[in-house]
Amino acid sequence: MEASFLAAVNVSVLAMAVIFTVLVILIFTIKVLVRLVPYEAPPPKARRQPASAPSASGDDHVAVITATLAIHLGKSPDEFRIVNISQP
Amino acid sequence: MEFSFGASATKILTTTGFSQLEGGDILMIGVACLMIYLAIWKKFEPLLLLPIGFGCLLANIPMSMMANTDAGGLLNFFYQGVKHEVLPPLIFLGVGALTDFGPLLANPTTLLLGAAAQIGVYITLIGAVLLGFNMHEASAIGIIGGADGPTSIFIASKLAPHLLAPIAVAAYSYMALVPLIQPPIMKLLTTEKERKIKMAQLKPISQTVKIIFPVVVTIVCCLMLPGVTPLLGMLMLGNLFRESGVTARLHETSETHLINIVTILLALAVGSSMTAESFLRLETLKIIVLGLLAFCIATAGGVLFGKLMCKMTGGRVNPLIGSAGVSAVPMAARVSQKVGAETDSSNFLLMHAMGPNVAGVIGSAVAAGVFISLFGDVAPLESHAAIADIVGTVEPGIKAAIAQVAGVAESLR
Repeated sequence: MEASFLAAVNVSVLAMAVIFTVLVILIFTIKVLVRLVPYEAPPPKARRQPASAPSASGDDHVAVITATLAIHLGKSPDEFRIVNISQP
Repeated sequence: MEFSFGASATKILTTTGFSQLEGGDILMIGVACLMIYLAIWKKFEPLLLLPIGFGCLLANIPMSMMANTDAGGLLNFFYQGVKHEVLPPLIFLGVGALTDFGPLLANPTTLLLGAAAQIGVYITLIGAVLLGFNMHEASAIGIIGGADGPTSIFIASKLAPHLLAPIAVAAYSYMALVPLIQPPIMKLLTTEKERKIKMAQLKPISQTVKIIFPVVVTIVCCLMLPGVTPLLGMLMLGNLFRESGVTARLHETSETHLINIVTILLALAVGSSMTAESFLRLETLKIIVLGLLAFCIATAGGVLFGKLMCKMTGGRVNPLIGSAGVSAVPMAARVSQKVGAETDSSNFLLMHAMGPNVAGVIGSAVAAGVFISLFGDVAPLESHAAIADIVGTVEPGIKAAIAQVAGVAESLR
């Protein structure tokens, strides 16, 4: 039992040494890699103007407003005609 | 052909599983149901415990031919993937495809935390030897402390296949219990001031470095420890799929469908090895206790090394990230984040903890490689006492034949 215990301790010490050695080698390798190939920020993408919403044609506007007014006034759309739309 | 109702009924009755059901089978069916319960209702690693539990249920139904030892049975075929070390490396391929090594590359010194946490593996190895296991068995038990299921299965199937079932179950059960096991140890070993340490933001890493890294790790580690190549090589291949940017389909398959399919096969195969004869032994209890010890010591080792790094860097490293060195990706990193946030809700340790977490995967694979280098090419000479009893039932003639074949093989070397 004592021999097995000593063997286990020896294996443990040796294995931990190997693990630390391998990982320390990796640490240095990574540091060299990062130094050799530094991070470069990607070039900023050209900002595109937001595309304007497709404007509805004037006829569409007139049709929508006519329908809304007809419902609001309780009249038929044929009873009145929109002749001018002006922005304030 | 003469038909007798009585004789046919008797024949049917004698061919049911009930006629062959023994106490051990009933107990193992109970264990299987417990695992299924834990998976579904307690959410303990359900992706693994559910198929393992169901595999165990199938394997313990008498005459079902579903145990891993039933030649020609369905799960025997699945088990060949474990026996021939095919499935664990494929899991590693998927893990590699899922893992971002960026945090590790940004802070490579955290690799040391992944190394320090492996202390749990070796203290457990010593404990297992003291409990009467031979070195092969003790190595397979110790690797539970690596908190890496596929690595545990890989080593167990290579060094102690007769202990595969309890080792796999212990490894996955404790991985599921990481959120319960780790926090008390982390809090016990750190002060409130240490837990409040905020770490500097990680610097970004070049994509070229991320691509070169898996190739370099494969060359360095696999040249030093060739035995670990199936595991580490597949891990790095999966990561190369991810980072190269030219294998989107392979990357997607590895991190989704492949890993899912292999998980089903692996878990069912492990479950099929949980038969009453292989599981209901005193060794299983010892392995369960040693597995818990391995997890606790690994966590403590990582945290204590984190404290050392904290001192050496003048308080720039939060020791809580050390506990993530036990692998168990990404759960251990989440635990570091959770415990840190409990002390200071504005402290975000997750990305810092991912460094030691993936370092733990590499560390446990390297630990496995050391075991394979030391014991991999030699079959165990002496088994644990209870195993020796089972081996002792082999016919003397067969024993002589085995000895003869072994002698021929030795002379050919």
